Amino acid sequence: MEKLKQLSSSLIQPLLAIIVGLAAGAIAIAVVGGNVLETYGEMWNGAFGSFFFVTNTLSRATPIILIGLGVALAFRAGFFNMGSEGQMVLGALSAALTAIYLPGPGWLKLIAALMAGIISGGIWSAFAGWLDARFRMNLLITTLLLNYIATLFAGYIVSYPLKDKTGSAAMAQTVMIDNSAWLPKLFSGMSLHAGFLIAFAGALLLFFFMKYTVKGYEIRMLGGNPLFAGYGGVQRGRMMMLSMFVSGGFAGLAGSIEVLGTQYRYIDGALTTPGYAWSGIMATLLAGSNPLGTAVAAILLAGLQTGGMGMERNTEVPLEVSSIIQAVLILFVSAKITYSFIKRKKARGDNGTV
Amino acid sequence: MLLQMDNITKSYGSVAANSGVSFNLQKGEIHALIGENGAGKTTLMRILYGMESPTSGEIRLNGQAVSFDSPAAAIANKIGMVHQHFMLFPSFTIAENIVIGREPSKTVGFDRKKAIADVDALSKRYGMPVDPAQKVEECSLGVQQRVEILKVLHQGAEIIILDEPTGVLTPLEVKELLIAIKELARQGKSFIIISHKLQEIIEVADRITVLRDGKVTGSMNAADTNEDELSRLMVGRELVQLTRKTAAPGKPVLEVADISIRGNRTKPTLDGISLHVKEGEIVGIAGISGNGQSELIGAIAGLAKIDSGSIKLLGQETAGASVRTIRERGLAHIPEDRYQWGVAKDATVTENGLMGHANKQQKYGLLRGASIREMVAEWVKRFGIKTGSLSTKAQYLSGGNLQKLIVARELAQLTPFLIAAEPTRGVDVGAMEIIHGELLKKRDEGGAILLVSSELTEILKLSDRILVMYEGRIVGELASQSATEEQISILMAGGKRHGKAETT
Repeated sequence: MEKLKQLSSSLIQPLLAIIVGLAAGAIAIAVVGGNVLETYGEMWNGAFGSFFFVTNTLSRATPIILIGLGVALAFRAGFFNMGSEGQMVLGALSAALTAIYLPGPGWLKLIAALMAGIISGGIWSAFAGWLDARFRMNLLITTLLLNYIATLFAGYIVSYPLKDKTGSAAMAQTVMIDNSAWLPKLFSGMSLHAGFLIAFAGALLLFFFMKYTVKGYEIRMLGGNPLFAGYGGVQRGRMMMLSMFVSGGFAGLAGSIEVLGTQYRYIDGALTTPGYAWSGIMATLLAGSNPLGTAVAAILLAGLQTGGMGMERNTEVPLEVSSIIQAVLILFVSAKITYSFIKRKKARGDNGTV
Repeated sequence: MLLQMDNITKSYGSVAANSGVSFNLQKGEIHALIGENGAGKTTLMRILYGMESPTSGEIRLNGQAVSFDSPAAAIANKIGMVHQHFMLFPSFTIAENIVIGREPSKTVGFDRKKAIADVDALSKRYGMPVDPAQKVEECSLGVQQRVEILKVLHQGAEIIILDEPTGVLTPLEVKELLIAIKELARQGKSFIIISHKLQEIIEVADRITVLRDGKVTGSMNAADTNEDELSRLMVGRELVQLTRKTAAPGKPVLEVADISIRGNRTKPTLDGISLHVKEGEIVGIAGISGNGQSELIGAIAGLAKIDSGSIKLLGQETAGASVRTIRERGLAHIPEDRYQWGVAKDATVTENGLMGHANKQQKYGLLRGASIREMVAEWVKRFGIKTGSLSTKAQYLSGGNLQKLIVARELAQLTPFLIAAEPTRGVDVGAMEIIHGELLKKRDEGGAILLVSSELTEILKLSDRILVMYEGRIVGELASQSATEEQISILMAGGKRHGKAETT
């Protein structure tokens, strides 16, 4: 009974956010002269209207889920990892380069590429953790700024040293990965690929890890009250490096899967333009860092985005309406974060750990 | 009658923090409000100060019924409150802190000169010397307390509420404060003092009202009562004498040799502390809080770094070791501040109980859920912890029940050594007896316990040997059979004569 109550109270906030978001969208639709019901109908069709659209949405949700899981883990440990984008980009680049240049059979390339993606994303994130532990550099700032270094570095690599010179187009991208190392598509002719299964398994695994393992317990307590965790013998430095590594690893995996399942090469801007990283962070915030909830929220956000495109195709209402809905969601979520942040600060007095 | 609070009741849900409390104050009177933590003293004063509204009851000021919906309204009616935790801006000067909210102004800007002159005049008038231009962060706590009182006087208060005013002060500062309060009362100000320090209260107050469980259990003139009667009224019955066997100390478990922490003030926070605790004995550390006890506990538990010296647990050096290592070698620790160190409020009872046990309650890194729940359920039963269920969040437990959970958790570590810091702070009498009984049981079974407490009665009741800390040093050791409160308080005050405050 009590659990049910807790569950429902944790659901009310995101649901409320979604309802208010849709209401705000409705106003915007009305302002541009669209029919609200018809527009939302088209949006629904574009996202979940047919098997094709569902798989399309799930395919878009895949990187968002993985990023969200990584951010959720860091949040649970009490760290703000805002560096998913850079971690994802580095993971994607490493995965692409590994798959392209590693000799051997396709399956080996694929696995090595995924590992490389996880490790480079993880190291990039753990580096920010190390800067915090060693030099007391604020994690929020470092992770955010390391994004620029990562994306610009990756952009440079594919614009100059490792640029694909075979094609006629002057795109900043690597050469194509051999198709033996591709992640298989789940249904022929559709964009959904095996990466979605990896993301789904990742959500289950993280949920299980947080709830039922000693390390997961220690991470949660560290996030709940770092002083308490320290008093009880949880090693903050070590747990921080671990959770930042795993968090970045998820982002790196997200990038690798996009490369190996959708684009088959690293293309500059292909991961940053759709805003996967920020959608992932949003999914986490919407779901209150619950891994399974994060996966659901990620699919919902992906649906908003693919649905928005469907809406634009079939009605006069522009794509920006779905941005408005997302923006309202962000507003709600950030209000929640600020609120709980203030509450935590109050509770903890002037002990500065976030 | 200057102030009358009639039949005040304040309920939070089904819990009544105050039920039918009546309280009054005459002009020029010092009226003390005493009771255990959670007895409802602070609630009553928050109601008077407009921070809470009473569920029922009436407040009358000079015979007029009043009700305050905010502290501002209370201040406008000449009621001022000095909170337990000072509310000052450390980087501002004393004058700025005092005039804040009603600053003297020139045509547009702040008139600093006038502010300083005003504060100077105020301080002279009430005989509370301060340097208006000094920054608050440079002042001792005693001076800060004075600034708080001057601030309230500057607001024009006639009734001044002091919440635990002496908690953080040194004995000398306490003495000065009590003199200042008496002087202000002589000039016609009226005081309500919340405290649980009986000695000081009897010394300074004209009248004393005792609260227990939200009800008034007695109200009398300070001259007609004594500490025994007051504690009986606070607690509700004669305290049961715990039977204790004579100590049979065995091998040393904890050996602390000459440890120091330099600290960032001019004086070191720990200065050459040496002590040991043997098997089967409780060593009590008495002292006014803030004299290095927290740092000593931190150093032993591995939470604070020491600058020199050695700490040995069961013969092994632990200075510099991690908390985890020290705990694995045999330390359990009831922390001084339960909310800061002892729990994660958003985690459940079970999760909070698991801290320190996780590595024993696992298989291949997986938590053994059933076995963990069984363990915590047993504590809940044995200690009578009142909780909705094992998955209730810790924040919904009352302070006393949370403390019982922490004590149960740490005792269950079954370590040879236990630090018990303020083990019964804020718990009710029943819980206190359970906790005291368990601590003595552990000692009888050969456990070594270092008890740190600011409550002398607790120290005297449980300890086999008593060490007194003052300004980061151990200034005396007493055998508990022969020690008296008088002796300990003299040592706690730094060896100076701790007599009655003389009005000079």
